[in-house]
Amino acid sequence: MRTNLIKLAGVAFIASVISACAVNETATVEVGPDGTKQIIESNSGLLAASLEIVDNKVGYSGDLLRVQATIKNDSRSALSFRYKFKWLDKDGFEVAVDGRPWTPLTITPYESKSVQALAPNPTVKAFKILVQD
Amino acid sequence: MKLTKLFVVLVASLVLSACANGPKISYGDATAVETTTTDFGSTDLQTIAATLVDDLLSFPPITQMTATRRPVMFVDKIKNKTTEHIDTESITDTVQTKILKSGKFRFVDMTAVRQIQEQLNFQMDSGMVDPGKAVAFGKQTGAEFMLYGNMSSIVKRNDSTKDVYYKFTMKMVNLETGIMEWAGEKEIRKTGEKSFFSL
Repeated sequence: MRTNLIKLAGVAFIASVISACAVNETATVEVGPDGTKQIIESNSGLLAASLEIVDNKVGYSGDLLRVQATIKNDSRSALSFRYKFKWLDKDGFEVAVDGRPWTPLTITPYESKSVQALAPNPTVKAFKILVQD
Repeated sequence: MKLTKLFVVLVASLVLSACANGPKISYGDATAVETTTTDFGSTDLQTIAATLVDDLLSFPPITQMTATRRPVMFVDKIKNKTTEHIDTESITDTVQTKILKSGKFRFVDMTAVRQIQEQLNFQMDSGMVDPGKAVAFGKQTGAEFMLYGNMSSIVKRNDSTKDVYYKFTMKMVNLETGIMEWAGEKEIRKTGEKSFFSL
């Protein structure tokens, strides 16, 4: 009986490992309107191990928030992932939900790349960058 | 004996997973990266629209022009010079919606001119609408700017690889002066490789 349970547990473990290949990890960095950085969530294995958001810049084109994030690949191999901007108003409500697509990006070893975006309208006061492997 | 038990467990798990008969239907993320084929897809459309609208609205002369007023624009068709059938109106619709929602420009919809005229004729001639409440002819606003563009592609392939390069160009011209006020480009490269099994 005990042997059977161990076998069952083994099968369940293998099944969970196979399904884990499709996991989507998301890391979020938020920058307030005053330019201060605040890491809200950084539990992504990809981001923590290989990618680093080394710089954020915030500016304005007219009254539209303009943002730039510099992403660095700290690993010894090229990394392909997706990123997406999300926009928030002063109360934290998301603006233009699904307004921007996930954008594929590849960074060669130890290279940094900057990604930019312009807020969809003047109500945007903060943004998030989502990174997904 | 052990192998038999393992076999029974595997069969049971297969039976359980097969309980849900019928086609498997699920909703996905409309903004997810789509790489089904190298043909023009939703990710290309969304990326082109987002990039060009960002470029237009952050161009300093446009920023200056729209700081105090909302100029009126109309969108012409995008010329599709690729070998694919692409619904370019869908691209211009997305671009137009994003620009309109930015609050920086207003649009006249040339695709609805006939319907608008029919409605005005109904209000004026049908005798069913109170003349005091009917909208007047000849009061519409003319567009100051026109947005138009081209889309082209270069396709190359060999036995195992297909490479597609898309170039999308959009321009904004002042209808009164004929001066091109802005132009933006977005390039996309997609490469597809045949898998071992499909060779």
